[in-house]
Amino acid sequence: MPDVWGVAAIAAKFALYLGVLTAAGTVIAALMFRLKDYRGFALSFGMLGLFAAIIVFSLRGANLTGDASGMTDPEMLGLLWSTPVGTALMYRLVGLGLLIFGLLVGHRGLCLAVVGGVIAIWSFDHIGHVAGRDTKLLDVALTVHLIAVALWIGVLTPLKRLTSSQQTWPEAADIGHRFGLLAAITVPLLIAAGAYMSYRLVGSFTALINTGYGRALILKVALVAGLLALAAANKLRFIPRLRANDHTAAVHLAKSISLEWLVILGVLGITAVLTSNLTLPT
Amino acid sequence: MAMKGPTMKKLILAGLIGIWASGAAAHSPLESTTPANEAVVTEVPSEVLFDFKGDIRLTRVTMTHADHDGVKMDLTGHDGFIADYTIPLEGMGDGVYVIDWRGLGADGHALNGTFSFTVE
Repeated sequence: MPDVWGVAAIAAKFALYLGVLTAAGTVIAALMFRLKDYRGFALSFGMLGLFAAIIVFSLRGANLTGDASGMTDPEMLGLLWSTPVGTALMYRLVGLGLLIFGLLVGHRGLCLAVVGGVIAIWSFDHIGHVAGRDTKLLDVALTVHLIAVALWIGVLTPLKRLTSSQQTWPEAADIGHRFGLLAAITVPLLIAAGAYMSYRLVGSFTALINTGYGRALILKVALVAGLLALAAANKLRFIPRLRANDHTAAVHLAKSISLEWLVILGVLGITAVLTSNLTLPT
Repeated sequence: MAMKGPTMKKLILAGLIGIWASGAAAHSPLESTTPANEAVVTEVPSEVLFDFKGDIRLTRVTMTHADHDGVKMDLTGHDGFIADYTIPLEGMGDGVYVIDWRGLGADGHALNGTFSFTVE
């Protein structure tokens, strides 16, 4: 089991993933589907991502001294800043800073917010298991994977909000339908990129079964399979029924989205464990 | 279509137990130390040598001996990311010396480990 610093690192990474992916995904979805009322939501998660990025960096300082003093020790933080950990933090600060600024400017700043979100997502290419492999194709796979995940996460809450009132049901059905069409491309890409990264990082079926990393990955894939089942139900049953003005479909869709959110939190939690506490099989 | 709550919970719990049970055995970034881990020596060495496989910046090294509190070892004189460290050791007589070390790899990964030796 990880010590108290290990647990703190996992919690902070979970908040970082949730903040960056939700904020970036919301602004990307807002641009693609011309959403309204997304700014407050995206802003909250952008702030969460920014705060978590600083805490993740600071906790790495504690890891270097073995106690809380490292979190604010200028020598330790300066050392970290000189490594790829510092580069990743810089991209997160710049990216999330742009995202927040773009949101504060108003709807005109949406493009700026999207650019910021993509920069923040791109920061994940600079540290961690994928960066350690130094392979361009893995970097591309991770970025594609994360943008597709972000878009999926980003569309959920605005869509759920639109199911809450009869007046916005047509809009919910329209956005759900358009997202379903887009997901036919982005979800296979997300899965292909995830499968490729898993193959490159884990390497063998034996390692998948016999290592902590492999088992955590299996658990993550099982949750993603559940998520796909929910998404398929939305696309094939609830959205078409909502388009046909079936009122019960709105209730089912809202419940399904809440459940999707729960599973997504589980997936992000497992990912935080995978990237902080488990070593890759060799 | 969706799994019932309790079934899902059991699956997740079983998965988590499996993950922790398998442990996260990190691979040592150390090539060797002098004295070596679990070595028995007749005299207290005046210094401890670390030979790492790659470049690292040691950030904290602590020595613990018998009933004494852990003592921070002096890392001054080392700068940047290097593979070999020679650190002066303050002798505390016979007994087991435990050396805990922490450092930062040039790739940004935090590293840490422990080794011990006995003076008889």
